[in-house]
Amino acid sequence: MTVFAASDKKTPPADDPHGRMARANRRDTRTGLSFVAPWLVGFLIFTLYPIIASLYYSFCDYRVLSPPHWVGLRNYIDLFTDHDYFLQSLWNTAFMFIELPIGLVLGLAIALLLNQKLKGMAFFRTLYYVPSVVPTVASSILWLWLLNPDYGLVNKSLALLHLPHNFTWLNDRVWAKPGFIVMDLWSVGGGMIIYLASLQGVPQYLYEAADLDGASPWDKLRHVTIPSISPVIFFNLILGVIGTFQYFTQAFVMTGANGSVGGPANSTLFFSLYLYQNAFQYFRMGYACAMAWVLFIFTLIASAVVFKTSAGWVYYEGEK
Amino acid sequence: MSNKRSFKEHSELFTLGAICILLCLTASLTGCGRAQASRKDIIELSIWSMWSGPEEQNFLRVLRRYEELHPNIHIKNLGAVSDDTKTIRALVAGVPPDLCTLSDASYLGPLARNQAVLSMDKMFQESGLKSADFVPSSLNLCRYKNKLYGLPFLIDDEAMLWNKQAFREAGLDPDRPPKTLEELAEYAVKLTKRDSEGKITRLGLRPPPDYWVLMALFGGRLIDPVTGKITPDDPGNAAGLKWYKGVVDRVGGFSEVNAFASGFGRDASASNPFYTGKVAIMFNGEWNPYWISRYAPQLDYGVAPIPAPAACPQNAGTTWLGGNVFCIPTESRHPKEAWDFLVWAQTEEAQVMFAKDMNNVPNQLSAIRSPKLRTGPPFRAKYSIYLDLADGPKAKFFPALPATNLYSSQMITSVDKIMLGDLTAENALAGVRVRVQKEMDK
Repeated sequence: MTVFAASDKKTPPADDPHGRMARANRRDTRTGLSFVAPWLVGFLIFTLYPIIASLYYSFCDYRVLSPPHWVGLRNYIDLFTDHDYFLQSLWNTAFMFIELPIGLVLGLAIALLLNQKLKGMAFFRTLYYVPSVVPTVASSILWLWLLNPDYGLVNKSLALLHLPHNFTWLNDRVWAKPGFIVMDLWSVGGGMIIYLASLQGVPQYLYEAADLDGASPWDKLRHVTIPSISPVIFFNLILGVIGTFQYFTQAFVMTGANGSVGGPANSTLFFSLYLYQNAFQYFRMGYACAMAWVLFIFTLIASAVVFKTSAGWVYYEGEK
Repeated sequence: MSNKRSFKEHSELFTLGAICILLCLTASLTGCGRAQASRKDIIELSIWSMWSGPEEQNFLRVLRRYEELHPNIHIKNLGAVSDDTKTIRALVAGVPPDLCTLSDASYLGPLARNQAVLSMDKMFQESGLKSADFVPSSLNLCRYKNKLYGLPFLIDDEAMLWNKQAFREAGLDPDRPPKTLEELAEYAVKLTKRDSEGKITRLGLRPPPDYWVLMALFGGRLIDPVTGKITPDDPGNAAGLKWYKGVVDRVGGFSEVNAFASGFGRDASASNPFYTGKVAIMFNGEWNPYWISRYAPQLDYGVAPIPAPAACPQNAGTTWLGGNVFCIPTESRHPKEAWDFLVWAQTEEAQVMFAKDMNNVPNQLSAIRSPKLRTGPPFRAKYSIYLDLADGPKAKFFPALPATNLYSSQMITSVDKIMLGDLTAENALAGVRVRVQKEMDK
């Protein structure tokens, strides 16, 4: 709004031909603003205000049912001294980062396979992409059956292949998190489809030039394909980092059958899940807000690190 | 040109006409609304309740009966509010219903502590209700720091069910249930069956829905009634958990037992593990006799109180109570009418009517003892065992505390750690005390 006030003061003389222009510009701005107003109002009320409010509440003891009162840094101090739960949830979330490189490589490998010019490729592309369109809650329920130690398809298939097949998956604190990773890799198609799109954009002349230089398929992959699609790998990596920090739905839906959510013995109590419990089950909203800000800072740092290193391995066309 | 123009004029006329019609319609509709609202004698009471599906129909039948008896009250029920945090958000926003259920009674403590629901002691005294008419624990369930913040409308309790066919297969006398917990442990081991690969096919004792009743059977307490401090590390609690760990370790360990349990079907169906014979003994609620008559009428089974440990025979007959708790939000627009409904819900008529449909336990002693619930279909004989248990003096419950939710969830997690052998029962439970007491003292 101050923008308008400033421009009003500078209204040029009436004979100035630019005056009409300025007025027209202003009118355009107003029209434009009124068109984006629904989004803008929504953003201010439902996004910006909650963000600022959560920062304030993170310094308060806030029981939801009674007004918040200021406690300074106590929530943050409690967080980092609460070893059993907070640190456990951090560790659980950190463990899930194992999934990130596996998912990236697997997604790329499938994309490379699906990039061949073969008959019926559209069918296979659809097949690999479909799992990532299934809503997370639905796929979680499905995998609850697939991972069932007693009659689940995963153990049965392993048995058919004469592999170890007595995994207790979600019922065992060692195998619960790997169970989630196996499940998530099923929907690797989301990243795959982006790789596939970018693979088709790699200029053909680069491969021709490499052929002339006598490059092997591996060399072409290593020195042509991967550098050319590195911005997309970078994109998937960033999304993966953020997604891993926010890991929630699968654990919320799939655990808790034999006790509390996040079990057994807190082995699937991910950061966001513990945050949710504090906010909505234990009425520790201030504590939960502090957790949300810690999560935000961690995500920010991790993303910044990835961005910093990206200069060394991400190549944009048109850059030197 | 002229054609276009006339069309435009026409379309304008059309729009104008449409608007007029719409306006008239709206006016007449709002008129209707006003006409209804002007009948001052009718009061609309809004209730948010936890039941859905056929259970909601049962509750609606009760409400319709109340409307019949009180023509000036119209009750608007919002069903399927099984997530209490939804109600709590409405409370915080200042737009609560006039009356609500708590599907998880552990929210009562925080609500009462913050005066978000009405204290009912004064209304209780004036209404002519008598504490002596209630199942004693059912009222205590609704008390926070000795003040009443809710009223029950039916309760749940737990007993032991055993599969007689499984007993016969294991060479046990089908008509003689275990008399002590030690004996039960022996039975549980004998009843557990494995296939040729060594995989469990039948579990002697189903993992209990909660461990509270086991702790209570050993005399364990969750709270010190004198100081009001929590006592998770009461020796009785540790003893109850150790007993269960003993059973679990003898049949393959916690992970294997839970892995087998994760293959169980839905409880309210024919694939309930007890009905299909996947478990031989279970501790479960009063709805089972009716469910079995419906889902597994051929099942040969018995019901008895959960046995006490040999060292604590005085605790025989202990059961664990849960209840359907009703609260009146402080900002209820019709607190008096809401209360009147709750008082009516305590009459023998209302209790028997709802209990018959729901197959839960009434919380009024007159209804518990009423022959109407003990005669009729054959399953009522076993259901009566549950009625007698609730009527007894040893019905225990989870006390309402400012941090009940945290307390129970920390207990469950520590049970995991005890069963897995990460921590001794004493250490795990002492940890719960430190963490939860710290939260309670804030």
